[in-house]
Amino acid sequence: MGSYAFWFLVVVGSVVGVAFFALLPFFAFLFIGETTLNALASFNPVSRAAKFASLMFKNLRRNLLRTSLAYLAIFVLVVVVVGVWSILAFLDLVTSEKKRDLKAIVTERWQIPSQMPFAYAQTLSQGAPQKEGDLIVGPEDSMTWQFFGGYTEKERDKQSRDNLVFFFAMEPRKTLTMMDGIEELTPEQLKQLAKALEIAEKDKRAVVIGADRLASMNKRVGESITVYGLNYRGIDLEMNIVGELPKGRWGQIGIMNRDYLNDALDAYPSTHKGERHPLAEKSLNLVWLRVPDSEGFKRVANQIMTSSTYTSPAVKCETAAAGIGSWLDAYRDLIWGMRWLLSPAILIVMSLVVANAISISVRERRGEMAVLKVLGYKPWQILLLVLGEALLIGAISGLLSAGLCQILVNGIIGGVPFGIAFFPSFEIAPNAWWWGLSIGAATAFVGSVWPAWTAQQVRVADVFSKVA
Amino acid sequence: MAAEPIVVCHQVSKSFRRGGEEIQVLSSLSLEVPEGQFLALMGPSGSGKTTLLNLIAGLDRPTSGKILVGTDLVSSMSESQLATWRTRHVGFIFQFYHLLSVLTAYENVELPLLLLPLSAARRKQQVLTALELVGLTDRMHHRPGQLSGGQQQRVGIARAIVTNPTLIVADEPTGDLDARSAEEILKLLGELRKGLNKTIIMVTHDPKAADKADRILHLEKGKLVEDTAALSGAAS
Repeated sequence: MGSYAFWFLVVVGSVVGVAFFALLPFFAFLFIGETTLNALASFNPVSRAAKFASLMFKNLRRNLLRTSLAYLAIFVLVVVVVGVWSILAFLDLVTSEKKRDLKAIVTERWQIPSQMPFAYAQTLSQGAPQKEGDLIVGPEDSMTWQFFGGYTEKERDKQSRDNLVFFFAMEPRKTLTMMDGIEELTPEQLKQLAKALEIAEKDKRAVVIGADRLASMNKRVGESITVYGLNYRGIDLEMNIVGELPKGRWGQIGIMNRDYLNDALDAYPSTHKGERHPLAEKSLNLVWLRVPDSEGFKRVANQIMTSSTYTSPAVKCETAAAGIGSWLDAYRDLIWGMRWLLSPAILIVMSLVVANAISISVRERRGEMAVLKVLGYKPWQILLLVLGEALLIGAISGLLSAGLCQILVNGIIGGVPFGIAFFPSFEIAPNAWWWGLSIGAATAFVGSVWPAWTAQQVRVADVFSKVA
Repeated sequence: MAAEPIVVCHQVSKSFRRGGEEIQVLSSLSLEVPEGQFLALMGPSGSGKTTLLNLIAGLDRPTSGKILVGTDLVSSMSESQLATWRTRHVGFIFQFYHLLSVLTAYENVELPLLLLPLSAARRKQQVLTALELVGLTDRMHHRPGQLSGGQQQRVGIARAIVTNPTLIVADEPTGDLDARSAEEILKLLGELRKGLNKTIIMVTHDPKAADKADRILHLEKGKLVEDTAALSGAAS
């Protein structure tokens, strides 16, 4: 019972703490806004407008609890929408076709995971030219991928996620020219990586492992490990860690020389009564080809798909965007739901939250609205006053929510690890500030239109009439 | 020589629809109010005195008849025209003050001036003048919640006079005040009438308040039944 009470207090305390830190910038914004308007009230061209605008700020301070709750509700909902839209934006980006330097991916046609014989590698790497005039892909514009995973502990009961490592077996030097995200590395990181890959080119046992994975395995550069094959059962490889990949996008994987894996597969029969490894003819998983443009892609794709070499198993050639799109097909319903159900539902809820808060405020202030009308304020000015208050809450909460979320997720946490295949951790999109401001303001506007309309329709004679 | 009438009501009628029923509140009422007069409207509840006040002040429009305030035919103005007209020509004093709670006394008094094309300096001058007239310059940065009932009504009066209106209308201005505060407010109204020659029309149930006026009109069932000079008002 005591521990339940403890955790309950921890949760409540955390929520209160987060709310407090979320509210602080909001109150700072209100204070700065009102102070600025008061200062502007001394300048004649904008004096009256500044005074009118400051009335909106003052009205928000009328019931701080209600204003804070409306702000926090929008704040939380904007965080969710911004997160969802960031993921959707990233998926849209990776599934949209590029115009130049397209990447063609060759995989097995009818099976996932793709498992092709390594014998396909040489001709596929050139784009499968068959006759004169066919497009030939240069050696530095192609890369083969083989996947080798395993544990660094031999005994089953000691094997866990912490000592599991997953390698891309390839030509190490091509990491620098073909891998996505290399341009994000700092010059120093690039220099260190290049040095390590040069060693891996010459020494097939040399490997480069991501910093996050090294931390999980409690290993460092300079140490040696033995990886007991998981997908290649019976193949255990001793490796020397000569470098590390930076945290983040490639932080969990390793790069090894493909010759090491292929040599181990070739040597397997000698230690297994002449029997070939079950994956001996299935070790090639992907081939990447860089082509100049969509026309080049069409030519290479045609060359590969019409070649009689790749029939058992058959292969397919698609752009990276299309490939990712196909892979995402399994998540199509989920993505559709996020885009067309979840996001609109959240936006509607936000509008309702604002509508509720503003309606209560307007109902409480009918007398004040009537006084303003009596003094000569026009209905459109009353409407503007109420809309302005709603827009202030919506826009400020949206902007702060998206901005703070971006700073926290991208700047401090370094992205949210999504754990889907090779996708990196997801970051909040650069547009998030604009999204937050827009959806906060727009939903506040939609939610406050009706209450503002009823406010401007207050009949002064009715409000001040005596009961007969 | 009698002052020119500042308010003229000619055969004014007003009716309302409640449910399916037509309720006649004012019936062919005619009335003239000379400039600078302090007029009290009295009568039982439902007699139409507040309705008459609302019509004269441009808060509502008569069903029939004409209302002239100064040279303006108020009864034929649109809602928008009435709003603009009210800002410049009418000052309102309410029974329950109706100050905006989020604004200071200064800001409440300034509210009507924000609708006029005045410079910030000119607005400040007029607000300070109004607050000085009601004796509240030392409280101008207080919010209504920090003021007594009498002080709040003074702020209401300052707000009513800050635009230098043609006419001041007061709906039970002492209704929510104790006797002493009420006396102070009525005295203030009298000073405004004398010092600034303001025309004041006041609705009241209180005979003592009515006695401060120059003239008392009694209404009953929407008709003018008695038109007397107040005892003390007539003497002044």
